[in-house]
Amino acid sequence: MSKQSQTPKAAPAPSRSMLLDWLAIQRNRITILMILAGMAMVLPLVANNYVLEILTNAWFYVVLCLGLNIVVGYAGLLDLGYAAFFAVGAYTTGILTSEFGVNFWLTIPVAVVASMITGVIIGGPTLRLRSDYLAIVTLGFGEIVRICARNLEITGGASGLIGIERPSLFGLHLNQINHFYYVFLALAILACFISYRLQHSRLGRAWQYVREDEDAAEAMGIGRVAIKLYAYVIGAIFGGVAGCFFAAKMTAISPETFMFQQSVLILVGVVLGGMGKIPGVVIGAFALVLFPEVFRGIGSMRMLVFAVVMLVIILYRPEGIWPARRT
Amino acid sequence: MSTLDILLQQLANGLILGSFYALVALGYTMVYGIIKLLNFAHGDLYMCGAFIGFLFLSLVSGLLGESWGGILCSMILSMITVGLLGVLIQRVAYLPMLAAPRLSILITALAVSMVLSNGVMALTDGEYEAFSTDLGFEGLEMGNVFVTYTQIALVVSAALLMVTLFFFINRTMYGKAMRAIAIDQDACRLMGINVNKVITLTFFIGSALAAAAGVMAGVYYGSVHFFMGFVIGLKAFTAAVIGGIGSIRGAMLGGLVLGLLEAFGTQIPFIGSEWKDVFSFGILILLLVFKPTGLLGKTEIERM
Amino acid sequence: MKKSMLTAALGCALTGLFMLGQAATAADLKIGIMVPTTGSEATAGKDMENAILLAADEINQAGGVLGMKITTTTGDDACDPQQATAAASKLVSADVAAVVGGYCSGATLPTLKLYGDAGVPFIIAASNSTKLIDANQGNAFLVNSTGYDQVNTAVELFTSKGANKLAIIHQGDGYSEDLAKLTKEKWSSLGKEVVAYEVVNKGEQDHSSLVTRIKSKAPDAIFWTAYYADGALVIKQLRQAGYRKLIAVGDGSNSPKLLEIGGKATEGVFCFSNPTVDYLPAAKAFSEAYKKKYDQDPDAYSSLAYDGMKLMADAIQRAGSTDKAAIIKAIAATKDFKGIAGPISFTPKNTLAHSNFVTLIAKGGKWVLNK
Repeated sequence: MSKQSQTPKAAPAPSRSMLLDWLAIQRNRITILMILAGMAMVLPLVANNYVLEILTNAWFYVVLCLGLNIVVGYAGLLDLGYAAFFAVGAYTTGILTSEFGVNFWLTIPVAVVASMITGVIIGGPTLRLRSDYLAIVTLGFGEIVRICARNLEITGGASGLIGIERPSLFGLHLNQINHFYYVFLALAILACFISYRLQHSRLGRAWQYVREDEDAAEAMGIGRVAIKLYAYVIGAIFGGVAGCFFAAKMTAISPETFMFQQSVLILVGVVLGGMGKIPGVVIGAFALVLFPEVFRGIGSMRMLVFAVVMLVIILYRPEGIWPARRT
Repeated sequence: MSTLDILLQQLANGLILGSFYALVALGYTMVYGIIKLLNFAHGDLYMCGAFIGFLFLSLVSGLLGESWGGILCSMILSMITVGLLGVLIQRVAYLPMLAAPRLSILITALAVSMVLSNGVMALTDGEYEAFSTDLGFEGLEMGNVFVTYTQIALVVSAALLMVTLFFFINRTMYGKAMRAIAIDQDACRLMGINVNKVITLTFFIGSALAAAAGVMAGVYYGSVHFFMGFVIGLKAFTAAVIGGIGSIRGAMLGGLVLGLLEAFGTQIPFIGSEWKDVFSFGILILLLVFKPTGLLGKTEIERM
Repeated sequence: MKKSMLTAALGCALTGLFMLGQAATAADLKIGIMVPTTGSEATAGKDMENAILLAADEINQAGGVLGMKITTTTGDDACDPQQATAAASKLVSADVAAVVGGYCSGATLPTLKLYGDAGVPFIIAASNSTKLIDANQGNAFLVNSTGYDQVNTAVELFTSKGANKLAIIHQGDGYSEDLAKLTKEKWSSLGKEVVAYEVVNKGEQDHSSLVTRIKSKAPDAIFWTAYYADGALVIKQLRQAGYRKLIAVGDGSNSPKLLEIGGKATEGVFCFSNPTVDYLPAAKAFSEAYKKKYDQDPDAYSSLAYDGMKLMADAIQRAGSTDKAAIIKAIAATKDFKGIAGPISFTPKNTLAHSNFVTLIAKGGKWVLNK
């Protein structure tokens, strides 16, 4: 990554006086975003359940990919065990609602805290390591979390937890797929917004500096390990919260969902779309979910075609389908 | 069985398993040493090796019978084929990516791994194929410790391969060139070493070793499957890192250490075998936190 | 640049949606099939799909159901919980009258909620984890005997062979853990000893250290509750290490592949099995028709899948309409339906009234009925 240096190109966060100018410049972009959002909102009125199920899944992966994007794309740390955070969130909600009868919404803050703690436990000792070693350590932690979930009594062992209560929102019991479609759409929009704000914050610029040149960043007074840990913990929270809603939607969770392949899948989404670029990551997440569904007809060749397409995309667009702009 | 017998038997188990890990870990470490790439597809090359060995063995079994000669022949053929496959992968997928960001090339490796495993899955319909060699259970019994002749043959062939490799790297011009390139590629180019050729050779050898391990596993365990490379790939990766990735001796040592850790890990009192992997990954993490370069790795300051 | 990218993305999204959307055209009697047609269990899934299609063909040739021809839609659950919910939604959206299928219990489990909410009658052909019984909302029916029945058969065998110390090994997935746990509870409740209760990781090849550990506990019998591929390796390594006593495997290991991979090490191994075509006199015609149509032998769960489809057609006929609630009522009222795998009636919990488990033994590289 040494060959390019990056300057923050995108508009800085607008101060109040600049807001109108900024809006004018961004008009095209905002119009398109509004159209897209509008389309996403009205979709449940026209689409059937199958399409909604797939798209709900896509929004879910958008949240996960954006979370991992903070770690991999913004801070440049390779994480091969991201499914662990997703698992922590899902199991927190699963255990609290099914074993202790806690209201779903109250489990979210608990899950946030739990994933933060996990993030600190994993990140704390390992973030000093070289990037390749970091990859294997995160992989190891991911496996440890999965094996714990499989072996412990409280997580329901290998069969996992069933009968997780579905939440209510303002008196509406969320139990239809179109409810969950909107829930995950809202989560995805929230994730995009937070990612955008983070990217253009002081912290975002620090991540970028550390990613491009760690030594120089440290020399400029940026606490390297602390900054990386922030990325790790924030990424963990994204995964944890997504996990809560995942548990509520599926009503049953088992350790098989949190295998190494899941971590790889999320990583592929981030990299395929374009690390560090929000629309890129969103497209990557969609590609991840839609591609295997669209090509379901070709049966056992499906995953092979998916893998080949992925390889070709990476070879011809090594920075992703829609990469972050670098000069 | 007395406790001592159990521990001795576990020692034997660990060494046998460890020699598999070591063979596969060597490929990881050689490729990493020379182009700083974690070749995630390595486990799948092991799988391909097992499948090609299976194919050759089914073909030659008519000519040579299911003898050790037949097994040896198909192992050599499989090593050559998979070696060439490794070279092809390097040329097609990794060569254009050498200048790209480190993360992109890692993802390329993941993609290659998916192409290989899904390709074999599509070809075999996801079926388990059974090796027809039924090698019998005769063996040496020392007290209560029992080792079959097959196991001894496996460990000996693994050791032979590793010793050959060791001499190749330390005693030949190509080996010297490999070591030199690992230190400074540009300087080697200036000194007139054909860097690309040596990298190609490294991929060939690494892949061939994985194939050898694959055929041996197929013959020994008796089945091949498109998914079989995943677990061993993960374990060999761990072994390479434990030993210090990039170091040839480290990979051999790391393989044996991991094999022993797992064997004794199942024997810890009060803890079931279901925690075995937590134990090996836990040791790995502790080791990296306190000695990040692995057992035999060189200290290196990384500049991204 | 930006704009063209966005337009392209929009275009892609729309095409994708279009392709996803073109599922259903109204006609005939639509039955959904949910089996894994990709992934690690694809072989078993395709075998079940074949059997169901064969049953549907036969029904259609005989004039269909209520004068309608059966058409099928397959949802691939890939033996994965997440993909299974997508597959179930697909079937529900395609507006199927009923669903037949279900192989991996772990994958079938989360779909019960979807089918239950939609009130779709669902005949579960193979999945038999006891967790399915609790999660069932009343619309699902298990035509395979559940874990409880298998445990009884297993304990009977171990007791008759005079075993006292039992070792149990599972594979860390819902199905095999469930069976292992039930066996352990039952065995302990009889005042006997479970000396080892172990897990093997899926896809791992070397089990020598585990084998040493188990052998050192000197069990009289070893029960492998998981699938054939890894089971063959475990058995082989147990025999290689010199374990000579009883080994038994659960119904997930009921495959000729176990014997093929395990070789002579598997000789004399016991297997508990739902009745497969080889041991069913009534299945002869089915077996021949299957071979003729697909040019291969029917596998373990084909007879149950075939029965599932036939039972569904029978129930719809009896219900007299394709109204989902009426179909469910008709299935529940089934009395001694003559399936090729045995008579089918249901308990109030929608499980099979009479256990259909048999004990097999490996002899000369083949499974034969143990009598």
